[in-house]
Order: sequence, then structure tokens, then C-alpha cells
Amino acid sequence: MRLMGRAARTILVGWLWFTLLSSLPVLALDVPPLSGRVVDLAHVLPPATTAQLSETLQAHEAKTSNQVVVLIVPSLDDEPLFDFSHRVATTWKLGAKGTDNGVLLLIAIKERKIRLEVGYGLEGVLTDARSAQIIRNEIAPKFRAGDVPAGVAAGVLAVLHTIEGTYQAPERPTAFHSDGEIIANTIVAVILGLVIGLFFSRAHRVVGPVVGGGLSFFVAPWVVPALIAGAVSVGLISLISGIGPATGERRRGRSGPFDDTWFSSRHGGWGSGGLGESFGGSGGFSGGGGDFGGGGASGDW
Amino acid sequence: MMSFARWMGASFMLAGLLALSGCGYNDLQGLDEDTKAAWSEVINQYQRRADLIPNLVNTVKGYAAHEKDTLEGVVQARAKATSVQITPEFLKDEAAFKRFQEAQQSLSSALGRLLALAENYPNLKADQGFRDLQSQLEGTENRITVARKRYIDKVAEFNKMVRYFPTNLTAKFLLHMDEKANFTVADEKAVTKPPEVKF
Repeated sequence: MRLMGRAARTILVGWLWFTLLSSLPVLALDVPPLSGRVVDLAHVLPPATTAQLSETLQAHEAKTSNQVVVLIVPSLDDEPLFDFSHRVATTWKLGAKGTDNGVLLLIAIKERKIRLEVGYGLEGVLTDARSAQIIRNEIAPKFRAGDVPAGVAAGVLAVLHTIEGTYQAPERPTAFHSDGEIIANTIVAVILGLVIGLFFSRAHRVVGPVVGGGLSFFVAPWVVPALIAGAVSVGLISLISGIGPATGERRRGRSGPFDDTWFSSRHGGWGSGGLGESFGGSGGFSGGGGDFGGGGASGDW
Repeated sequence: MMSFARWMGASFMLAGLLALSGCGYNDLQGLDEDTKAAWSEVINQYQRRADLIPNLVNTVKGYAAHEKDTLEGVVQARAKATSVQITPEFLKDEAAFKRFQEAQQSLSSALGRLLALAENYPNLKADQGFRDLQSQLEGTENRITVARKRYIDKVAEFNKMVRYFPTNLTAKFLLHMDEKANFTVADEKAVTKPPEVKF
């Protein structure tokens, strides 16, 4: 039944996809690649402005973790402004996952339209009304006067000024464990392993340290604290119950490769949830998984 | 002998578990919950729109009190829209769903008329409070669009599970789940179109 279900479902899903794809109207505009913090497809900004704005935005992100990106397109190709900007923002996933603190400033040159797309997490400060004010008072007047670079810069600064102080970039990539917590948990793990391990080492001189060390290892948070906790328990139990440190040595010897695992797993986990890549330095930049619910404002000039 | 019976029992339980996961029991339950959550967000955003209206009406009254018909129309449409509520449990009730849709739709058009009327009053258009309300209203319409789209996608996913084989058997005989009502396309165009906002 299960196999049949799988097969039937695969065929059905495949068939449905096929018919869906062949009947789907061609979307008006592709979401452009996120090549940087200022994506100027209409080539209206001088390189100096682009560089300066990118730098400002990067500094802001490093400090606050808010991801603000500017996109300037030559035309919307008849797609409604909101549809396009929401599609771009959710495809790029600006802002960190969980805090959803991304902002997209979209400018369509031909249609003379401006939109600020605000992530869920910033809707409280960069409200619809505030977004509309920024467009109306900061950006549109300069655009009307013909100075697009100044308008973009003024808009970006107003946005950054508004959302400054909402979020703080976490200093270390430990999103939900403070150092004190980790140390406390590790100590608890060692004590627990020690007590149980000593109890077992009465029965058998190898089983005791192994059980105690293993227990400490599994109770402790993260891999490196766990390895340390395990090693300490094994060493202490061996010492107390009076056998050589052979087992302890072997366990400690393994902490080398595990060290890498610990680092990369934490690093990787963080990268998918936030700023990992954008701190890369080598120009690599991507969204952090933020979501957009339709907040922000539109305007024209 | 005892251990054989135990072994048999355990393997039956395992087979049962595998069959359940293959029949989409958990997927159906999960999607059911997801559609309910998505619907709550739709309701939440429509409610947010309804909450903005008294302020908007009062602001417009300050400049155009004699436009009674339009103002009354919005107030009545709002009262009607807020009285038709659907809890997630009644999502399979097509008729109730249709009533809800129609009530929200008539509120949308009443609001559209109110905002069109504002075009004739330059002082109203320049009023900071009115401008803020206008942008809030526009943002809320956008949020409604997003919430509806997410609900539509979730319901499509759920309804597919309810109709596919073999998950349709699980849905029908085990969980007694039915297809859920979705927004219709004709209405889609009318409601998702945000009121024209000019600056």
C-alpha cells in the first residue's frame, strides 16, 4: 500500500507539475540576482554613490543585523508594483530568520514608482505611515528635481535612521545560549557523570569511567563542552577509582576532529539563519531567511 | 512462545506506523493545522482593516461631512463585514465562506468609493492624519493580499492530499476531513486590488 501510494503520488505530482507548468502564464519579470546591497539595473547611480551606499548598508548590518537593500529596475513590465516588490523581497529573503528584519527599497524608473517593502520584524518601527513619509518627503522631491542618486541616498539614510536601535547584531554566533548557561550546564553534566560513573566503577573498573564520561558527554550542551565534560569525568573517575588514564587519553585524543565539527556546525547553523555569509568579506552576500508580510508603502514622483 | 508473540506485536506496530506515515496521517494533520493558522492570519488582517475604518471615516467627516451616502456606506459595510466571522472549524462550509467573501468585498468597494471621493477635497488630501491612514490602509490591503495568497497555497496543498490516493482514504475514513473552501478567482481580482492611492 505504501509503495503503491508513493508511486501513484509521484506520477500524479509529476503529471500535475507538467500540466501546471505548461499552462502557467509567463511571469512578467524575473527576480534579479542579489548581486550586492545596491542592485542598480537601470544604471542611474554613479559608481561612487553605489559603493558609498553599499558601505553604509554593510556597516549598518554589521551593527544592527538589519538587512537593507536597494533595487533599481528600468521598468516593471506591467507587473503591479507591490506584486513585484513582495516577490523580490521574499525571494531574496532579506533580514535574519526569526527577526525578519529586512527592508527593500525598490525604484522603477519608467513607471516613476517607489516602494519600501518592510519585513515583519521592522513593521513596528518602520510603519506604513513612516514609510510613506520617507517616500513622500525624502525621496520623491529629489527625484522630481531630477537628482536620483541624492533621492536614493536620502531615502536609505532615513530608513536606517528609523530602524537604528531596533535590533542589535549578536556579538557571538550563539543565538540562544549565553556563556554562563553553557558553563553551568557543563558543570552539572560533569557532576552527574561523576556520581553515576563512580557508582558503576564499583561494579567494573572500565564500565564506570565509560558510563560516567558518556553521561557527561550527552548531558553537556554543544560538542566541545560535551567533550571537555566527558574527558573530565573519565579522568576524575579513573583517578578516584584508581586505574590508569588509558581510556581518558583515548577519548581526549578524539577531541581534535570533533573541534572542527563543533565549529562548522555552529557556524553553518548560524549562516542559514542570519548573517554568516554576509560577514564573509569576499563580497559574498545573501539574504538571511527573513519574511515579508506586505508592510511598507508605495509612492511615485 | 511469549517472545514470538511479542516480536509479532512489535512488528505489527512498526508496520502500522509505516503505513500511517505512508497514508499521510501526519501530513494531513499538519496541513490541517497550517491552513487554520493561515486562515487566522487572513482574519487578523481583515480585522486590522476594519479597525482602521472608524478613524478614517472621522477624518473624512472633518472635511466632507455632507458626503453622507459614501460615509454611511462604509460604516454599514464595515458593520456587516465584522459580523460575518468564520472560525477555522467552519472552513469547509462553502456557503459561510462565500458570505464572508462577499461582505469583505462590499467593504472593499465602499472603501474604494470613499478614497475616490477624497480626490475632490485638496485639504483632506493634504491632511497628515489622512495621509497616514491612507498609507496604513494601503499596507493593510497588501497584507491581506499576502495572507490570502498564503492561505490559498496551503489549502491547495491540503485539498490535494485529501484527493490524492492513498491519502484520500486516510482523510475520508480515518480523519473525516473534507476539502476546505478557497477564495474564488473571480472574487480574487476584485478583492486583492488595493484601492487606488494617489499622493
